[in-house]
Amino acid sequence: MLGGQYDITPEDRIALRESLGLNDPLPVQFAKWVWNVAHLDFGNSFYYQRPVMSLILERVPNSLQISLAALIVTIAVGIPLGILAALRRGTLADHGIRVFSVGGHAIPQFWLGLMFVLTFGVQARWFPIGSMNAVGIDCGLCWDRLWHLMGPVAVISIAGIANLPRLLRTEVLEVISQDYVRTARSKGLKEQAIIAGHVLRNALIPVVTSFGTILLVFFSGSLIIERVFNWPGLGRLTFEAAVNKDYPLVQAGVVISSVLLIVSYILRDVAYAWVDPRIKVR
Amino acid sequence: MATDAVTATVATLRQREARRASAGLWRDALWRLRRDPTTLIALTVIGVMVILALAAPLLGDGFFHKTERDQDILSNYTKPTFAQAWLWLGTDELGRSQIVRLLFGARVSLFIGSFGALTALVIGLGMGVTAGYFRGRWDDIVVWLVTTLNSVPLLYLLLIIGVLFRLEPLPFAVLLGGLGWLGIANYARGQTISLREREYVLAGRTVGCTPVRLMVRHIVPNILPLMIVLGMIEVGQLILTESAISFIGFGIQPPTPSWGNMLTNASQYLGKAPYLIYPPGVAVFVTVLCLYLIGDGLRDALDPRLRGAK
Repeated sequence: MLGGQYDITPEDRIALRESLGLNDPLPVQFAKWVWNVAHLDFGNSFYYQRPVMSLILERVPNSLQISLAALIVTIAVGIPLGILAALRRGTLADHGIRVFSVGGHAIPQFWLGLMFVLTFGVQARWFPIGSMNAVGIDCGLCWDRLWHLMGPVAVISIAGIANLPRLLRTEVLEVISQDYVRTARSKGLKEQAIIAGHVLRNALIPVVTSFGTILLVFFSGSLIIERVFNWPGLGRLTFEAAVNKDYPLVQAGVVISSVLLIVSYILRDVAYAWVDPRIKVR
Repeated sequence: MATDAVTATVATLRQREARRASAGLWRDALWRLRRDPTTLIALTVIGVMVILALAAPLLGDGFFHKTERDQDILSNYTKPTFAQAWLWLGTDELGRSQIVRLLFGARVSLFIGSFGALTALVIGLGMGVTAGYFRGRWDDIVVWLVTTLNSVPLLYLLLIIGVLFRLEPLPFAVLLGGLGWLGIANYARGQTISLREREYVLAGRTVGCTPVRLMVRHIVPNILPLMIVLGMIEVGQLILTESAISFIGFGIQPPTPSWGNMLTNASQYLGKAPYLIYPPGVAVFVTVLCLYLIGDGLRDALDPRLRGAK
């Protein structure tokens, strides 16, 4: 761990090995690590010389800001686009949305981020080129933060928006030909009421399942996007720890991001039961 | 009059249908592919790219007169120009020819994508089919493995591995394939579960076919078309993953050029040499896009029932 140029006595070496627990056999080391993790203790960071858990807890809210905002944008843009594609099937709008979906899947997210930074940050100077706040401003939720959020959120949302409308389109087309929609129409309901109350309500059920994929994309994407936009989140912390060979921090970063992913899967399942009242927790 | 025309048209259509009905699955697929311009264009683009990638050392020596590592510090940050062939895409901070590096990067990306997808296909098919066929304990293990790996964000996992090991293209491809088989296994398992109850599998069992023979000769051929489609899409996804990992510096290491690590470099000179950022990104985008389009086209060609599904 330390380079040869340091004056290190054999005693120091022994003491250091002992303090890091390197004298135990590997299975014992691993068991100790798992035991500590179960108590939410990931040890001390080599680099920051601070408990890893507190470092991570500082960063998680920053990452969640991006993911949540991206989720909101994805839903707010993706659902109308999906309905539009289904209702205006075969028109220019439908084809445009399909082209966008395929393109959005194929474009490397980090490259899109770099292009955003280059075009709107470096050249046009409309948006900041990175970080959470302008120098001297420190706020949780204010115009400055939103302004800094726009780049990363726009880039991450593209992946979600590429997914959602295509799925929703298929579902809406499926539902719209059902008998109960015809019944609703024959009752003389307004088209908006039919779409919102009868079609969308049922079309959304399978779509909620797909949120697992979208969330996975968000979580993986955050690692890269936080680096591109210099956003001090969990992804960048883990990445920097990897560069510094700060193993406890990297391990914790992977574990915590996995836990967050699993928690969001659980939330998705709860949402599933909420969207489809027929599903009951047994 | 009109009736005559309709009868004639119907007759020609019937004839065409009859001719095709006698053709096998692959002949039929080829017949459909030939009438699908989008897929044909995508196939051509990928074909040209593969040829260029394979010929990269020859082109570097014979045409551009540069290798991917040649530095020419005096002509660094040259903007793209048509003056000389090796300057078509400009040079980076060390005066390395971007067009040559892009061609060599294609070798890395296409190799990792295709070899990784092959690995994923072999593992996914093996795990999925055996799990679906035998069910029971082995099925539980496979499903558990898939669910567990699915709940780990892939990039974070690759980051750990990248910290511990220096990834050469071949191990990197195997690693990506070894982590990317989950979707394929899920599909293969689901299909096998439904296929193993079919009459022809039952017939095979009654005449004493071994499980291996049933799987290899009766089940796998029926899911192979779908697997080829998934494999194509997997190639694209692995190319994206490789470029992302190389971009953050834990994949293919310089001086070996890959599209990902060329972008790492470019991102450091956004102000001074913005032209460096476009070619590698466009290369990834076009390659992956074409692979997805081929996947879509193949699905339509190989299984008309799946048309429009997904």
